[in-house]
Amino acid sequence: MEYGSVWERQTVGSKRRMKCIIRLIAVSILTAGSSVSTTTEGHPVQVRIFEGQPEKQWLNPQGLPTSEYVEPAFAFVRIPARFSRNALPVDRSTPFSLEATMVQTLKRGEYRFRLRSKGLAVFLVNGEPLLHTGAQQPNKAAHDALPTASVGDESIRAAPPAHQDAVRRVSLDAGEHHFRLVAVIGGKGLAPFPGELSVSMARSGEVERVIGGNNAPLLIDADWEQHAASSKRRHHFEDIERRRASDDLVEDEWRARHRRVRAWMASRPAPEIPAHGDVGSIHNDVDRFVNAKLDEASIAPNPAIGDLAFLRRLSLDTAGLAPTAEQVEWYLGQAPDNRRAAAIERFLHGPDWADAWVPVWQDILAENPGILKPDLNNTGPFRWYLHQAFSDGYSFDRLVVELIEMEGSLYQGAPAGFGVASLNDAPMAAKADILGQAFLATKLSCARCHDAPFHPFLQKDLFGIAAMLHGDSIALPESSTVPVREGGRQPFVEVTLNPGELIDPHWPFDEIAAGLAAAPPPRNTAVDSRHVLASMVVSPANGRFAQVVANRVWQRFLGRGIVEPVDDWSGASVANPELLAYLAREFVMSGYDLKHLSGLILRSHTYQRRPMPDDPSAPGDGAKLFAGPLRRHMSAEQLVDSLHAVAGKALDSEELNLNPLGDRELRQFLNMGTPRRAWEMTALSNERDRPSLALPRAQAVVDLLSAFGWRQSRQSPLSVRDDDPSPMQTLALANGSTGTRVARLSDDSFFTRLALEDRPLEEMIDIVFRQALTRLPTPSERELMQDLLSPGFAERITHNGSDEVRTGEPDKTDRRVSWANHFDPKSTLIRMEEERKVRIGDPPTSRLTADFRERFEDMVWAVLNSPEFSVIP
Amino acid sequence: MRPTRREVLQGALAATAGPLAPLANAQQALNGKADACIYVWLGGGAGHIDTFDPKRRGDGKDVPGSYYDSIPTAARDIRLCEHLPRLADRMDRCALLRTVSHDLNSQHGAASNLMHTGRKPSGTILYPSVGSIVSHELGSKSDDVPPYVVMGYPNIMRDAGFLGAGSGYVYLTQIETGPTGLNPAPDVDGDRQKRRQILLGRMRADYLARNDNDAVVRAKAEVSEQGFRMAGERFMDVFRLDQEASTVRESYGSDFGQRCLLARRLVQAGVRFVEVSFNLNFLNGTGWDVHQDGILKQHLLIQDLDRALSALLDDLDRHRLFDRTLVVVSTEFGRPPDFDAYGGRGHQADAFSTLFSGGAVRGGVAVGTTDEIGKTIVDTRVAVPDYFATIFAALGVDFAKNLFSNDRPVPITDQGRPVAGVLA
Repeated sequence: MEYGSVWERQTVGSKRRMKCIIRLIAVSILTAGSSVSTTTEGHPVQVRIFEGQPEKQWLNPQGLPTSEYVEPAFAFVRIPARFSRNALPVDRSTPFSLEATMVQTLKRGEYRFRLRSKGLAVFLVNGEPLLHTGAQQPNKAAHDALPTASVGDESIRAAPPAHQDAVRRVSLDAGEHHFRLVAVIGGKGLAPFPGELSVSMARSGEVERVIGGNNAPLLIDADWEQHAASSKRRHHFEDIERRRASDDLVEDEWRARHRRVRAWMASRPAPEIPAHGDVGSIHNDVDRFVNAKLDEASIAPNPAIGDLAFLRRLSLDTAGLAPTAEQVEWYLGQAPDNRRAAAIERFLHGPDWADAWVPVWQDILAENPGILKPDLNNTGPFRWYLHQAFSDGYSFDRLVVELIEMEGSLYQGAPAGFGVASLNDAPMAAKADILGQAFLATKLSCARCHDAPFHPFLQKDLFGIAAMLHGDSIALPESSTVPVREGGRQPFVEVTLNPGELIDPHWPFDEIAAGLAAAPPPRNTAVDSRHVLASMVVSPANGRFAQVVANRVWQRFLGRGIVEPVDDWSGASVANPELLAYLAREFVMSGYDLKHLSGLILRSHTYQRRPMPDDPSAPGDGAKLFAGPLRRHMSAEQLVDSLHAVAGKALDSEELNLNPLGDRELRQFLNMGTPRRAWEMTALSNERDRPSLALPRAQAVVDLLSAFGWRQSRQSPLSVRDDDPSPMQTLALANGSTGTRVARLSDDSFFTRLALEDRPLEEMIDIVFRQALTRLPTPSERELMQDLLSPGFAERITHNGSDEVRTGEPDKTDRRVSWANHFDPKSTLIRMEEERKVRIGDPPTSRLTADFRERFEDMVWAVLNSPEFSVIP
Repeated sequence: MRPTRREVLQGALAATAGPLAPLANAQQALNGKADACIYVWLGGGAGHIDTFDPKRRGDGKDVPGSYYDSIPTAARDIRLCEHLPRLADRMDRCALLRTVSHDLNSQHGAASNLMHTGRKPSGTILYPSVGSIVSHELGSKSDDVPPYVVMGYPNIMRDAGFLGAGSGYVYLTQIETGPTGLNPAPDVDGDRQKRRQILLGRMRADYLARNDNDAVVRAKAEVSEQGFRMAGERFMDVFRLDQEASTVRESYGSDFGQRCLLARRLVQAGVRFVEVSFNLNFLNGTGWDVHQDGILKQHLLIQDLDRALSALLDDLDRHRLFDRTLVVVSTEFGRPPDFDAYGGRGHQADAFSTLFSGGAVRGGVAVGTTDEIGKTIVDTRVAVPDYFATIFAALGVDFAKNLFSNDRPVPITDQGRPVAGVLA
C-alpha cells in the first residue's frame, strides 16, 4: 500500500543533474522545432507563436516566431511561457498568433472537420481555407445572459462556453495532406488564454478525433479531459525546464559575484567562536554562541526533544507540512545516531522547500493580487516568482535584486508584479517602505505621510528611495501629507515636505552607502537608479542586509528573533550580537545561500531542544537567550496543508478566476489558477456580496485560513501575524467545510484506504496517530479508540469493499458563470447550489458500513481537532 | 522597565491635551441608549430617489426623476416611495439621513469599504470595520455568543483590520446551513457530536496534562473548550427559526426577511453587531445596482425591504429590544435621477440616504435636503465620519478615542461628530 505521493516526489536530484536531463529535452525540442519536415515521435504538430503582428497579419503572421515547439495533436490548452534572459516570465503581446501545421497521409474519402475556438481562427487544408471562426467580443457591462449549456451532437464533447464550432465536410484524395491552423489569442479586452482550441476530424460514421499522431484524443469528454490535463502538466514542467536551462549564463554571473563577495569578506575579521565545555548540548558553532550567553546568565539549555517530535518540527518548518506515516517509517528506519542529520538533508532538498517559504515572504513583501478588478495596493501575482526563486535555489541576494529590478510579466508572476500598487498615488513609496522593513529592518511607514515620530527618518528619506525605484524624481502627492484643517488640532507629527514638492532619487542611509563598489550584482534592468538601489541593499559593505535576513530565518525557526522586532531595529536590543554576526557572515560567505544558513540552524542543538513553556508575548530570560525555541503554533497555511496531507486529499478549490469566459482583460481579472497549496489562495474579493461572484469551494478553504491569521488582503507588509489562539479557530476547524472534508472517509481518503486494509484494529489506530500526530497513541488513547471502534470492526467492509476506487470527480463547478453574466439570476442560483453542495461535502465511501465509518471519522476528527495537532512540538 | 513606544505616545498625547479637546465634547455627545446594532446593508448602491428620498417622477428615459410615485408617512413632511407603505406607517420611529456624501463614485468595492470602515484605505494600515470596532469596544454580552455576526460574504470591508482576527466575525450566507463554523457538519447529529466531544475532551485533557506548564498549550486547550461552549445549544438555538410562530416568520417575508428575523434573535442572545446583507440579486438580476434593465423589477426589492424592515421594527418592539437596539439601513452610494440608455441608473455618491431607527434615535426626522431631483445637496452635508460618529454615539462608543495600530494612534472616526438632530 502507498501512503501518499509527497515523499515520492523527493527523488528529484541535484539541480545540476536535473539540468543535464533538461538540456537533453530542450535540445530535442529545439531540433524538432527547427525543421518543419522533421517531427518528433508522438508530437507531429509544429507550433509557432508570432507576436506584435499588425492586425491585417493576425491570420497570416509574418517574420520570425517568438516560440517554436511541438504538440501531439491540434489541441491547445496551454501556451508555453516565454522567459527573459534571467529566467523571468515575460508577457506575450496581446493578441498573439498561434500557427500549427502538420502533414498527414489520408485515404481517399469524405472527411468532416471541426474547428473549435474562442476567437478568430482559420483552418486550411493544402493551403485552402476550409473553416473560420470569428473574433470573441469583449464584455462590457456584466449584463450578458448565462450561456445555455451546449448539448450539440451527443457523440462528441460539447463546445465549452464562449467557444464556437465551425464544421465542414470535404472530399480528399488519397495521399499527403497539409493542415494549417492560425488562431488569434487574446487581444484588447480579452484574456490571453486559448481555451479549448482544437481541430478534429472524422470519416462519416466515425467519432471525431483531434488531428494529430496516433495518440491524439477522440473528441469525447473522457479522452479530452485526460489529454488536456496531461498537456497542461507537460507544459508546466517544460516551462520549468526551459526556465532552468536558460539560466546558466546568469547563474554564472551570480557565482562570480559571490566569489568577489567572499574575497571582500575574507579581508574582514571573522567573529571569534566562544569556547564551551558541555559537549552534550553542542552540535555546532551556533550552540557555542548560544550557550556562551546562557552561561553568562547561568541558565541551562533545554534538553533535546525526542526524535519523532523533532521530525514533526523539521517537516513543518521546511516543507510546511506535518510528516506522513510513510515518512515517519522511513525516518525510524535510519540509524538512530544519523536519523536527524539524514532527515535535515532530505527536507532541505525536498520538493516542498519553496512551499514552506513562499507564504512567509508573501506577508513580508505584501504580495496582494486581487481576482476582481484592482483594489488598493493590489500587486501582480509575484508569488510565482518567489516560488521559482526558492525552488530553483536562487541565492538570496539574487531574489532581492530581481525584486528591486521589477522586470518581467506584470500579471503572470514576475517581479514586475511587485512593482504594482494599484489605486495608490505613490506606489513606489509603498514599495520603498516594504523593502525597508523586509531587508533593512527599517520601518518607513510613518514617513509615507509625515516625518517619523520615533525614527530618525524624514519623509524625504522614504521618497528618496521611492524615486530610486521610480527611476526619476517624484512629486509628493497631495494625499501623502497631514492636512491641518482650519481651526483644527495641530497634528502630533511633523511634516517637512509640501505637497507637490519634487524629491530626487537618493539613498538616505549614509552609513550603508560605503563600499558600494564592492561586488556589484549582475544587472538585468534598464533603470539605472534601481540597479544602484539594489547594489546598495545587497552590498557586503551593508552588513545590515545579511543580518536582517539571518535574523528573519532564525526567528522563523526559533519563534523569536535575535533582534526583536524583526522588521524594525531602531532602538531594538540584540540578544546575542556575536551569534547574529556569525550567522550573517556564514550567510554571505555561502553566497547568500538560504539552505546553508537554514542547515546551520536546523542542525544546531539549540533548534533541536524542547520548547520553552513561556508565553511568547512575555518571554523570560531563558527564552530570550534561546535555552530552547519558543513554543509556536502552526501558521494557517501549515495547518491547512497538513490537514490535507494527513487525509491524503488534494486541496479543493475552483480555479481562482472570475472570468472563465475570458471576455475581460487579464489585468482586471487575474487568473490565479487552481491552488495546490494553501499559499496559492487569494482574496475572493466579494465586496459586492453577490452569490454569483462567490467561489464556494475556495471560500471554504479561505474561511479556515482566515480564522488562523492568514490575511486575504495584504495591503501592507507584515512580519509576524496576529494569530493568537481564538475560539473561532476551534470552531472554524471543527465545523467548517474544510475541516469536515478532511475528516470525511470518502473514497479518496487515506483513512478509507487504511480502514479497508487487512490489519488488526490496534495497528490501524497506531497508524492514524502516526499519520496525524507523528507519534503513537498513549495507552489511554489507544484504549479510548479501541473501545470506540471494536464494535462492528470485523464486519466493517461492505459488499462494495473491493470496488474500483473512485478517484477525483469531474470539476463540480459550472464554468459558464463568469463576470460577464453574473447579474443573470441563473448565475446566482447556480453558485448558491454549489455553495450548498460544498457544505454537504465529499460523498462518504460505501465500502465501509456507515456505522463503522462514522465512528472512524469521529476518531479522525478528534485527532485533527486536538489542540496538539496545530501546536508545533 | 523601558516604557513601550505606545506608552510614550499616550503620555505625549495626554501632555498635549489642547488638541484633543473634542474629547470632552464627545463625551457629552455620547448617547449610549443602544447596546446592539443591526446593520442592514443594501449592497450595490440603493437609489435614494427610488426609496427614502422620493422626488417628482421621471419618465425612465430623458426626464430625470423618481421611478415611482411617493406616499405620505406617519411623519409630517416626510414622503417615501410608494413601495414602502409599511415603513411609511412607522416613519415616526425612524430618522433619515438624506445627504450622506462621499466621492467614491465608480467602485463598489472602495465605496462599500468606506461605508463599513469610515475611511479610505491608506495602504499603510488596514482599518477595522464598524462591526469590529463595536465588538472590540463593547465585547460580547456573554461568553457563549460571538460579538459580531455577518449575514453576507466575508471580505475585507467587514474585517477587523489592525484590531486582529480576535475582533472578527462569524458569517453565514444561507440560513439553512447556519453560520460557517458554528454548526456541525450536516451529517453530525447531536449524538455524534457528543461522542466527538468526549473523544476530543479526553485527548485534550491528556495533552494538557503532559504539557501543563506550557503557556501556548494551555491557551490552545482553553480556546478549544471556549469555542465549543460558544457553539453550544444555547447559541445554536438562535438559528432555529422554526421556533418562531409561523405568523411571525410570515410577517418578515422573504429570505432577506428571515435574515432580519435571525438578526433580532441574535441581538436577543447577546450579539453586539449583526450585519444583514440584502443580496437577493435573483429578484431583478442586479440587486440594488440597477444599471440597464435591473431597474425594471427594482420595486420587488423595495417591497421586500419594506416588509422585512417593518416586521423587524415591530418585532424588536414586541421583544422590548427596540429601545436598546440601533437599526441602520445603509448602502455604498445612491443613484442619480437620470437614466442610462436602457432605463437603468448609474452611481451617485455625493448625495444619498441612510436610515436610522431604534430607541437611541429621534423618530420622524429627515436630516438634510437634496434638490428637486435628488441630485445635489441643498443643506446639511453629512460626511462619512459624521455618519459613523452617529452610530458609535448611539452605542455609547467614544468615536474620538484612539485605537492603536502598533504604535500609531488611530481615532475611531476620522474627526467625525454625531449628526445633530438624529439621536434622541
